[in-house]
Amino acid sequence: MSESTPTPAFKASHASRMVTLSLHAFTQLVRMKVFYFLAVFAVIVIGSNFFDMAQHQGPESVGANVLRNIKSWSLGAMALFAVVISIVATALLLPRDIEDRTLYTVLAKPVPRIDYLVGRLMGVLLLVFVSLAVMDLLMVAALHLRTGMVMEMQEKMAVGRGWPEEAIQSLKQETLASGVNWQLQAAVLAIFLKVAVMAAICLSVSTFSTSTLFTTVVSFLIFFIGHFQADALDFYLKGVEAGTSTFSQYLALGFSLFIPNFQLFNVVDGLVQNQPITLLMVGKLVMMACYYVLLYTLLAWWIFSDKEV
Amino acid sequence: MSSLRKIIVLLLVLLAFGALRLKFERQMLTEFRDAGLMREQNHLESRDRIDQTSSAVALGGLRTLVATFLNLRAHGYFERQAWNELQDTYETIVNLAPQTRYYWETGSWHMAYNAASYYLHESSRPPLRRKELWRSSILQGRYFLERGIGNNPRDWSLHASLGHMLRDPNKLPAMRDRDAALMAAHEAYDRSVELGCFSPMLNQRLSLYCLARVRGRESEALELARTLHEDPRHHKPTLLILLYVLEFDADPDQDAGALALRIFGDAKTAYEALAHHWRGNREGYPMDGVAQGLARMEGLLGIPPLQSILGQKLAPGFNPDDWFK
Repeated sequence: MSESTPTPAFKASHASRMVTLSLHAFTQLVRMKVFYFLAVFAVIVIGSNFFDMAQHQGPESVGANVLRNIKSWSLGAMALFAVVISIVATALLLPRDIEDRTLYTVLAKPVPRIDYLVGRLMGVLLLVFVSLAVMDLLMVAALHLRTGMVMEMQEKMAVGRGWPEEAIQSLKQETLASGVNWQLQAAVLAIFLKVAVMAAICLSVSTFSTSTLFTTVVSFLIFFIGHFQADALDFYLKGVEAGTSTFSQYLALGFSLFIPNFQLFNVVDGLVQNQPITLLMVGKLVMMACYYVLLYTLLAWWIFSDKEV
Repeated sequence: MSSLRKIIVLLLVLLAFGALRLKFERQMLTEFRDAGLMREQNHLESRDRIDQTSSAVALGGLRTLVATFLNLRAHGYFERQAWNELQDTYETIVNLAPQTRYYWETGSWHMAYNAASYYLHESSRPPLRRKELWRSSILQGRYFLERGIGNNPRDWSLHASLGHMLRDPNKLPAMRDRDAALMAAHEAYDRSVELGCFSPMLNQRLSLYCLARVRGRESEALELARTLHEDPRHHKPTLLILLYVLEFDADPDQDAGALALRIFGDAKTAYEALAHHWRGNREGYPMDGVAQGLARMEGLLGIPPLQSILGQKLAPGFNPDDWFK
């Protein structure tokens, strides 16, 4: 028997394994009918159109409040839904895989544990991404339609009041700036980044957690505490000048070092109020989110690497 | 690896990575705060004012969402005419969303206009008490708007709203120094024009209308009136009247009739404009030369002395004491 070049056995790359696992996780989560919440979101978006308050000024005030309502309510609902979905979905994944024995099947094959974890995390992030994209579409559609209606009303009122054409054009520009714009997409991206960090943290917790409930509760706690991280750091830095006790200072410093800073991703409020954000700022946010996701995923892998399953 | 060692390594890694990111994070926070994308965290005032749930939502980066719900609540207070609650609610709202012009303007409008009107007509309190409440409501509305401007100095609309409030003859009696208030209104309109308001020509004229009422600033007002008059699009009745009275004030010996004809074009137009000014001067505009001009126009138009408008009484100016009798 002549020696022939052995047929190379199919060896999936890390990336392809992760993609397969992530698609599986995504399908698994979709089957749990998570997308039903979109109906609730649609009701929120439509509802936000009906809260027009009394106007007290000229054409420039007409509908301005409604446009802000649509943005504020939609982005608020997006953030809440996305955080809940990411935490609950991540917390469910590992215990569910153990329960239906998928985990054993996967790990019995030459699948590195890091691939398994990253694949699962990517599945959750894909779910969040798709959810946010659909919600974003709904928000943009509602906002676009309403902006057109508001501009029509404003123009009618301005013409009635004898405004010159240039003033009407200027008003239209300002209203358009309050409507659909790229700033809004930056806000949605900021929500996604925050949620991605949260999912990575939840994944780390779930690797040593004993129950889904524990993972969910601890993750939500970290999420809320993370919004105080900036306070703790301020306390530490100002405490030096204010003469606060050394123990309190170190406690605050430790807190700022251990807990991620979720305040960083709270640019949504500023963006709803039409504050500009630069591409560089968005880039920094992305970098910071990647840093956190990488750190917590590696920690999850390290904890999970020699865990008995 | 034992569990204890694992935990220690985990904590050390978190500490090390935390230390690595801290400086960069702080720079980012400062940059975002400077760009107006987020606020300083220590808003104990607003945290104290809102309930626990709202506080948690606001903390989660959804301050504007809480603000919109509080705005709905404030509308309920407005309908119930619960002015103290309404004021408190707007204080919280602007703490949560300080860059939203609408909240500053609406809060100020509720206080200076709605609450003030309520106290003007309310009958359950003694007059002196109502007057004090009326005055303080207007002053609170003004202060609120001024704080809004402090937070958003480049917002033309807030400046214009302050101008509208301070030039309002129904609000002016509440101000301690009438001239200072009118001067502030003049400056506010000028600033709104500089910042690119929608109707710069109107606000330029409104700026003049305020300056013309400030005692001791007549020459400055005349200069502004002349400048605006050069553009025919500014030829509105009030501007022409003010140009007339300010020109007469600058040179009281001149022929009032000739001046009126020069500014208004013909005797009929001049008479109508001057008569309207004579009858309706509740806003406290200067009246220099109006009587002389009317006398000359009546002569030119052949109006008999018995029908002279000068025989009619001038409308009394606004006096808050009359409102609270």
